[in-house]
Amino acid sequence: MTDAPTTDTPPHAGQVLVWDIWVRLFHWSLVACVSIACVTGFLLDASWITLHIASGTLAVALVLARIIWGFLGPTHARFADFRPAPSRILSHVRAQAPARHLGHNPAGGLMMLGLMAAVLLLGLSGLAGLGGALRTGPLRALPYGLGEIALEVHETLALLLLAMILAHIAAAILESHRSRENLVRAMVTGSKQGRPGDHASRPAEAHPRLALLLIAMLAGATVASLPQDDPTPARAPVSELDPTFAEECTACHLAYHPSLLSAAEWHVILGGLTDHYGEDASLDAETTARITNWVLAHDASTVQSRPARLFAGRLDTPTGSMTETGAWKDLHEEVAEAHFLRAPIYSKANCAACHADAETGWFSPFHIRIPRETPK
Amino acid sequence: MRHLLVLPFLLLATPVAAQSTTAAELLAKYTAEAGTEASAERGQALFLASHSGGKSDTPSCTTCHGTDPRAMGQARTGKPIAPLAPAVNPERFTDLKFVEKWFGRNCTSVLGRACTAAEKADLVAWLSSL
Repeated sequence: MTDAPTTDTPPHAGQVLVWDIWVRLFHWSLVACVSIACVTGFLLDASWITLHIASGTLAVALVLARIIWGFLGPTHARFADFRPAPSRILSHVRAQAPARHLGHNPAGGLMMLGLMAAVLLLGLSGLAGLGGALRTGPLRALPYGLGEIALEVHETLALLLLAMILAHIAAAILESHRSRENLVRAMVTGSKQGRPGDHASRPAEAHPRLALLLIAMLAGATVASLPQDDPTPARAPVSELDPTFAEECTACHLAYHPSLLSAAEWHVILGGLTDHYGEDASLDAETTARITNWVLAHDASTVQSRPARLFAGRLDTPTGSMTETGAWKDLHEEVAEAHFLRAPIYSKANCAACHADAETGWFSPFHIRIPRETPK
Repeated sequence: MRHLLVLPFLLLATPVAAQSTTAAELLAKYTAEAGTEASAERGQALFLASHSGGKSDTPSCTTCHGTDPRAMGQARTGKPIAPLAPAVNPERFTDLKFVEKWFGRNCTSVLGRACTAAEKADLVAWLSSL
């Protein structure tokens, strides 16, 4: 990188370098990151969360770097070159043969700002959802309700971004036809053919060293401000299981954590062990009382965890199954029904087949690994 | 005399949990309570049969234990169940309280009633003969 102006240096006769290498790298890296985030977020199951967060974080970092480049980059990289003032947008869209903009036209400029804002807000809402609802990451102190709202906002914004991307692609094709040039290729090679009558841009000199310094400082400040330790959040599900509970309740199934259900639901379940989900699981009175006391002391009302908020008090009937609730079905719709019933899962009740942390009560997406079917 | 050398290893293989009974003791106890001779054949038939008196999800012992007591079984939750035959699982029939608890639960689940002493004797006789 040099401080020499990178614009208006014709690589070939008549060709003008419009998109400098950093703008192009930004554009296509963002395409890759957003594609990965969309596929992992919309299409794949929750076990892809790490890749989703990594690609989303990188997209936010790219946009932040691009914003700095928007003030310090060469002519057409600058926000000043594509100010999307309403009057300019209208005149560009309405004109039969508008003057050609070598860089972004005003409508395109509006789209750039919109896309960048959407990516930044997606990052923020994702982080807030991760913090409030999943109780992890730098915003893990946020209230649960706020985290849940953030996840809703995140999903809506993602749909909006998808719509904007489609509009952006459509506009690039339309504008390519209108100005008889291949705009997609220009974003690869960086150059366009200079034509008489092109909109004049105010030439600006790039300051790559300053930009790099600012980007490095921003990255350093971000890393430095991240919480160093990851202590157990407040109101976490109890981590040590009562030995009697663990021994008796794991005879036939994994230790379903006390925080998954409400006190009322535990009362019904432990009061009806003679008909326990289709089997007699009765225990002597003393053991039942001991388990009931421990479970009630650590029920859903004592914790702040996503499973507790999603399932406790929500069973269709007091003796119903968590797997019959709408919330459970929504969360598991990516897994084929038959997959649950075959080796090595065998049953929807076998949470731990996919959720390595099932017995902790957290059911974190970071601990999901859906096993492949194995011949029995 | 030489095969007495395996004794220390047998002791080592004994479960840490207090061994309160043996298959032979259980068989004697249930036979005495029943007042009739135990029959391994009747035990096998009871184990393999489909019953209608119990809960609909568990019509037979084999629902969870499988048809071969020397092999692993599987609970309806997907959790594996250790083999029932003491020949392959020496922990079976060593804890009276445990045996009574599971006869109690499983007879209700499969038959819809408690097992008689004669039925328990038949089952122990068959399972320990394998």
